[in-house]
Amino acid sequence: MSDNSQVTAEDVQERAGIDRSVRFPVMFFFTSAAVWLFVATLFGFLSALKLAVPALWADCQFLGYGRLFPAHMTALVYGWAMQAGIGVMLWLVARLTRVEMTKAKAVIVAGHVWNFAVGLAVFAIWIGKGRSIPWLDFPGWMWMLFALSYLMMVVWVIPMFRVRRTGDVYISEYYVIGAAVWFPWIFITANVLINRGAAPVMAAGAAGWFVTNLIYFWFAPIALAVAYYIVPKIAGRPIFSYPLAKLGFWTLAILAGWTGFQRFMGGPFPAWMPALSGAATLFILIAVVATCTNLLMTLKGRQKLWEYSPSLRFTMFGMLMFAIYGVLAGMSSFFSVGKVLQFSHFLVGLDTLAVYGFFSMTIFGAMYFIVPRVTGCEWVSGGMIRWHFWFSAYGILTLVGVMLVGGLAQGGNMADLDQRFAVSVGNSQGYVIGRICAWFLIGISNLWFVYQMGLMFLGKGRKSEGPTLIHGEPGKSAEAAAGLNPENA
Amino acid sequence: MSDHDHDQNLDYEAGTASVVDMHDAVKREKVLQPSGHEPMGVTALVLCAMALIGGGIVFGHNNGFSSSIYVQDFYTPEPPPSEDGAAAADENVAWIDKWMKDGKKVYNNCIACHQPDGLGAPGQFPPLVGSEWVDGGTERLGAIMLNGIAGPFTVAGQSYNQAMPAWNGLSDEKIAQVVTYIRREFGTLPEGQDGVVTTEMIEAARELYGGKPTWDEGGLLAIPEDAMLPGAKVDLQTGEPIQ
Repeated sequence: MSDNSQVTAEDVQERAGIDRSVRFPVMFFFTSAAVWLFVATLFGFLSALKLAVPALWADCQFLGYGRLFPAHMTALVYGWAMQAGIGVMLWLVARLTRVEMTKAKAVIVAGHVWNFAVGLAVFAIWIGKGRSIPWLDFPGWMWMLFALSYLMMVVWVIPMFRVRRTGDVYISEYYVIGAAVWFPWIFITANVLINRGAAPVMAAGAAGWFVTNLIYFWFAPIALAVAYYIVPKIAGRPIFSYPLAKLGFWTLAILAGWTGFQRFMGGPFPAWMPALSGAATLFILIAVVATCTNLLMTLKGRQKLWEYSPSLRFTMFGMLMFAIYGVLAGMSSFFSVGKVLQFSHFLVGLDTLAVYGFFSMTIFGAMYFIVPRVTGCEWVSGGMIRWHFWFSAYGILTLVGVMLVGGLAQGGNMADLDQRFAVSVGNSQGYVIGRICAWFLIGISNLWFVYQMGLMFLGKGRKSEGPTLIHGEPGKSAEAAAGLNPENA
Repeated sequence: MSDHDHDQNLDYEAGTASVVDMHDAVKREKVLQPSGHEPMGVTALVLCAMALIGGGIVFGHNNGFSSSIYVQDFYTPEPPPSEDGAAAADENVAWIDKWMKDGKKVYNNCIACHQPDGLGAPGQFPPLVGSEWVDGGTERLGAIMLNGIAGPFTVAGQSYNQAMPAWNGLSDEKIAQVVTYIRREFGTLPEGQDGVVTTEMIEAARELYGGKPTWDEGGLLAIPEDAMLPGAKVDLQTGEPIQ
């Protein structure tokens, strides 16, 4: 990292070279992820609709909730979230190590295998070959396809990190390299346990463990790597505190693997397992506090940029959702709260908050930053970015709100032994309608996003100078629009 | 899904591009500066401490790392309501049924030796079923409960050399309940007796024998075989004393 905060011609040339070396894999992952996001949103909307009006298309087995919802989750997690995350990961590693990517073709080939696997998984679930294991719904043998193509895509970041041309290891590098190596561990462990004859109770435990671990060991580190990169870049400031950022990293690294079993409190596990997982989920709040403090202090005095820079706005919203996710997950780890919420709509809302509210919003921020740099043209319209943001924000907040309140109501009804089960179903109908509205809003927001991403992919972006801002004239810098002086301190 | 030919915007070749030709997004980008090393604020420390305390509360209720404990504190499921509704049933239960139910709970202390069926273990622990000490007067039984007994002694024609500890740590009410339970459940009661021992009777027994050393067989035999503890009989339905 240069000690000088002035941009030099060599810096610019080097950055352009690095961006050029990763442009094909990155754009490949971003555009295919955007298409999967659209598919996932469609499945999500239809599954929410089926929950509210079960009689709708009742004779068509392909439109049952039991197939639509797992197909939605598989497309969302493996099609959209992981692919977008891998694209961001490759670009970040190339930028942070200052090493050009030389294996772009191999990555793209592996990326095609991954897309084929996602398509096959969604199709298999759709025709009724799903397994009803949360986030691992695809037929058992397919996990090797995912594992192999992941390794083929991501293994290149290790040699790039080894030959890095920078002295200090930047904090985002910790997170992104961590995520790269943690995923194979949790994915292979969970699948081997489930497919190779673990006791059924243990298999259920492994599935719950995999869900929270994918969130804390993969989604969270990549989102935090993005935030620790985007915020200083946009603000033109150094990170507030390196030790605090490392505290957050090691908290996640040490504790994330212990989470997951709190989803089975009161279940047939020795009592210490849910208790330990619940405690770990609460301890992880230290990482949340460290990250939020660090980012807010970095941005202090320059928060106004939030109104103009799309990257900063999406990233900071994602970090806000990270904090909310951490608090809600911690809250439901208390037995008194968790026993009401554990079998209710709340869990669906919590998982969606992690994938869409927190991870995806941060990744949108990264994409709004990365795509103009690798394609050489600017986003078409600040207005569309604004719509994308507000429809997404209202959608995810609606979803989390109704699923939390609805989950409390539904769980409370189920715990009341004097009431018939049908009462809990009937009383949650109103909240299910809220879920439809949420997915409708998210669907609209993604239309703007997919349209813009398509234009960028086809090279039809704006060619003029200057960034596309959420408000204000295109061509002005975010700082000028916000009325702030460029700061080099 | 990808199309590798759409790079017409990237019209520079590796190494030959001059800065002027670069597109604006790369040029306007700021340099990533070396990270700061500021200390953690007080608010952040307090929030972290709260997270640790919360985690400690959750972890503190885990009953240790036992592989055989499955129920967490605070997570005891409520018993299902009876068919008539729990509240209504409560009013109709006779006093003696509740007294016996509570006595059965106290008897959990005894099952390790005397067994749930009251038959004991032949040669090792004496039975309660068919035992002259249970069927006889309540004074001997109360005396054993309060001070324990050390062998050898004879029960139902068989000799035992075991020691039973004193149970004087239990409240008078609990001793009354468990003695009632074993007499009605395991004993063969003489004609005209209901087998009930009240709290008042155990109070009387404590006055007589409280603080005495552990019995041996000779000392116990000195108490008359059919001596009953003093106290009013009670109505089995209401639990009120009968004058």
